[in-house]
Amino acid sequence: MNLPTLVFLGAVLAYPVIYAGYLSVHKVGLAQLRRGEFPFSGWENYGRVLEDPLFWMAMKNTLVFTAITVISEIVLAVAIALLINQTSIWTSRVTRFLILLPYAIPPICNGLIWSFLYSFQLGFLNRILFSLGLIHDPVNWAGNPDTALYAVTVPYIWRTLPFAIILVHAALQGIPRELYEQAAIDGANAWHRFRQITLPMLQQIIAIILILRTAFAFAVFEEILAITQGGPGDATWVAAWYSYKITFSPPNNFGMGAASAFILALMIAAIALVYLRAVYRRVQL
Amino acid sequence: MFKLSLPNRLALHVANLAVIAVILLPLAAVIIGSIQSEKSLQADTRRLLPPEVTGDNFLVILTQGEQRGRIFDQATYLPDNIKKFYRAFANSLIVASSVTFLTLLFGALSAYTIARLRYRWTLFLLQANIVSRFVPAIVLMIPLYIVMRSLGQLNSLSGVILAETGFLLPYAILILAPYFDAIPSELEEAARIDGCSRLRAFVHIVLPLATPALAACGVIMFIVSWHELLIPLILNARPEFMTLPVVIASLVGDVFVFFNLMMAICLLALLPTVVLVALLQKYIVEGLAAGAVKG
Repeated sequence: MNLPTLVFLGAVLAYPVIYAGYLSVHKVGLAQLRRGEFPFSGWENYGRVLEDPLFWMAMKNTLVFTAITVISEIVLAVAIALLINQTSIWTSRVTRFLILLPYAIPPICNGLIWSFLYSFQLGFLNRILFSLGLIHDPVNWAGNPDTALYAVTVPYIWRTLPFAIILVHAALQGIPRELYEQAAIDGANAWHRFRQITLPMLQQIIAIILILRTAFAFAVFEEILAITQGGPGDATWVAAWYSYKITFSPPNNFGMGAASAFILALMIAAIALVYLRAVYRRVQL
Repeated sequence: MFKLSLPNRLALHVANLAVIAVILLPLAAVIIGSIQSEKSLQADTRRLLPPEVTGDNFLVILTQGEQRGRIFDQATYLPDNIKKFYRAFANSLIVASSVTFLTLLFGALSAYTIARLRYRWTLFLLQANIVSRFVPAIVLMIPLYIVMRSLGQLNSLSGVILAETGFLLPYAILILAPYFDAIPSELEEAARIDGCSRLRAFVHIVLPLATPALAACGVIMFIVSWHELLIPLILNARPEFMTLPVVIASLVGDVFVFFNLMMAICLLALLPTVVLVALLQKYIVEGLAAGAVKG
């Protein structure tokens, strides 16, 4: 019964990953592809990637992007999950109904919509801020190298936050009410109840979100493609964008692309192993 | 459970309104952007609502450039990909439905054995799936591109379907396994004693009980594969085989395509999954939680 799964995992996951490793130590460009021969080149591709300042720029940007998105998502997810857990507030019920909406938006559409929102001359965000009287001159949100990287974190957080909120909200509902009632009898105020009961009970789910979101934010692609294409200059080059550009735009260096993608995969694999140890330990019956 | 004081209630209402405003902001932008012309956007760069509303952006997409309306009357250039809207929509639908079907079929079989058979190799299979879920698409796409190229399988829907199925299968298994784990095994055991094979017991007893699981997993698979960009972008370069996200991505670098047309096509592309999320919210919420936390 597992044959189809094993075939698929082998053909579409394991084999390509191994083949990517193979490509990364061979010279593979368009000329080699045409001939069908990939000469062995040892660590040359890795050497060239590691010497490329653009690669380090992309790595630095990826780390900054990931740190900002993951930390914001955890804080916002806990806050908003607590908010929609207030069933006696009718606006909380409205929020709860709408909370999954960003999950429905295709990432590439999300990127384009935000690129319209951010647009310097025509953008919707500047229009809103003008109307509210908050700014007097248009702000170039995504076109300024100093702010572009921060600008692309917002759409990404907007799109991926529902997932984190849903996990925290599900965990909140698993906390026994008696704990809170007992704490109230003991005279604990809201902040104490949060610190002493809610937060410790959410510890595991926060760890899960931290790991999952870190792994996925490392590979961010669509929003970068739609909003900045790595620009202005190289201000928003991230790891996946680097591998994509090196490989699929001239001079199409597949070997270097595979090497850089393999470095990214190794970093994410390390995160995955932490996840396996932390979350699925209980499956060892 | 605790009585909230009036100032606290007010603060919570304000917080909710702020969250709702942020959720709706991009949707307001895409709608307002899509119902006006580039001219009206340029005429006043500070105005929030358009001076006049037009359906021409949708008209030009939905008639594939045959009727241009007033906005595009004088336009000498329309991107070719816009003219293949129905083809792209159909491709997206074919890919997403096939991937949903295949991941459910293979995923259910594997998730069931992982939940029922406690052997070393099923545990290993589960762990392999968990690690596979983390593999970033870009790592797979470079070798897959070269393999598909040498097999002559670039530019075909089946290549995209197979690649996406393999890519999403681990996630499907992780979502389904806890559901199967929760179904009591007594029923199948009774059937097995009556001489039913394991596969028959699975099809006739377990699967009907697992409909909510299949619904949850299926709708998530459909949404993720409807959204997938990188795999079809790299494997399919010819317009006949592009899915909607690829068509939309192809407009990004085109300086002659204006925001209004982009917003219109984005709105058309996001509607199907928004409808699914609105209708099947309960299943999606359960499925997302199951796929992330339960072993």
